[in-house]
Amino acid sequence: MEENLISKKDLLDLTGISYGQLYRWKRKQLIPEEWFIRKSTFTGQETFFPRKMILARIDNIISMKDDLSLDELADKLSSAPPISKTVISGKELLERNIVSTLVLERFGKPLEAEGKYTIDEVMYLFVIDSLLSSGEMNLEEGDLLFRTLQENSARLEGKAWELFFIRKMGVTSFLIAYAPTELIFDAGVRLVNRITVGSLMEQLRGKLN
Amino acid sequence: MVKQHGDLVIAGVGGASGGTYDMVRLDGVATVNGSVEARIFKGNGHVHMKGDLRAEELECNGNMNVKGSLKIGTLKAEGMVRIGGSLRGESCVLNGVISTKADCELEELTGEGAFTVNGLLSAGHVDFVLHGPGKANEIGVESLVIRQNNQGTWNRLLGGMFPKLKPELNAGTIEGDFIDLEYTNADVIRGNIVIIGEGCTVGAVEYRSQLTVHPGARVGREEKIGV
Repeated sequence: MEENLISKKDLLDLTGISYGQLYRWKRKQLIPEEWFIRKSTFTGQETFFPRKMILARIDNIISMKDDLSLDELADKLSSAPPISKTVISGKELLERNIVSTLVLERFGKPLEAEGKYTIDEVMYLFVIDSLLSSGEMNLEEGDLLFRTLQENSARLEGKAWELFFIRKMGVTSFLIAYAPTELIFDAGVRLVNRITVGSLMEQLRGKLN
Repeated sequence: MVKQHGDLVIAGVGGASGGTYDMVRLDGVATVNGSVEARIFKGNGHVHMKGDLRAEELECNGNMNVKGSLKIGTLKAEGMVRIGGSLRGESCVLNGVISTKADCELEELTGEGAFTVNGLLSAGHVDFVLHGPGKANEIGVESLVIRQNNQGTWNRLLGGMFPKLKPELNAGTIEGDFIDLEYTNADVIRGNIVIIGEGCTVGAVEYRSQLTVHPGARVGREEKIGV
């Protein structure tokens, strides 16, 4: 887990924001309380953040804060996002570079190209797209993953989950677990990829806004 | 404007069960058993709230006790305010003592007296003159200015007899952009511009652009970070 965290000091160095800004954004609920992870280090208490999520979030805040007030931003970013109610058309997904044409054609709604997608569906497509484009997964496996996600969508809705993509002896498996979680595998298992929905959601938000 | 809710007025000794009001005015000794939401809340004397309190404008003189959490637009308090939960709001002007059992999040905190925050004190600007002890587990601010009131003989005597009453700020970590302190004990201070005044005892200071230390202050470790 260690490498997935970033200390407050490193975060400020990396992003160039100040303590004041960080605390202000927290007060305005632009950064959720749960991301502040307290840990004791040899210099005393330190605060850590989930690296990917906080960096994506701060990127989003910085790029939007010039146009919006902090309160408006908070509405946009809040953890129970109004985004979950929105539907996005297939065309928009392509235009915003969220999923590729290939993925949309294969997994998207077959009937109408103008089909509307809920945020969860977009998320599934996004996951598949990112795995396919990184070359880690082939199309048949994509089918399997998409089916799995869709069949279980009721159980995943509104929850934070993580996807473990593993191979053993050439056989592919997908595990979906509620986050945060830590899985231990036997030595023969190769963890191809691990995707946290939270960090993906951040990327998605960035692309949608 | 048409009033959406009625008022609650108590003078003398009385109680109420709570609810949503336009204006609440409690004079004397009042106990409210439930949570209250009000546009304007004024309490004089002894006010005891057993639930949460939400008010856009809160003014209290005397003694106020909130068992739950307090959410405010502006708070003007003279006397003693005790909050069992957290305090969240825009601004707080204090003349007296305030204590919260959980976090305290304000954009602006100014005043004189003493404060206790059992949790994180997060604020835009804090400008406080200590007459009594100040305590916070953690402080995160944009700017923090702490001054000590000139001590009279009596105060000095009391402070000597009961070290707990010394007008000093005690904090675990203090983080902020601009930090200007006097008579403060802290484990770690991290900031951009840090001024450590008389009577401070600080374990470690990490600063980015500027550090000033008064000769009468003790600092364990100084470290400049960044470029």
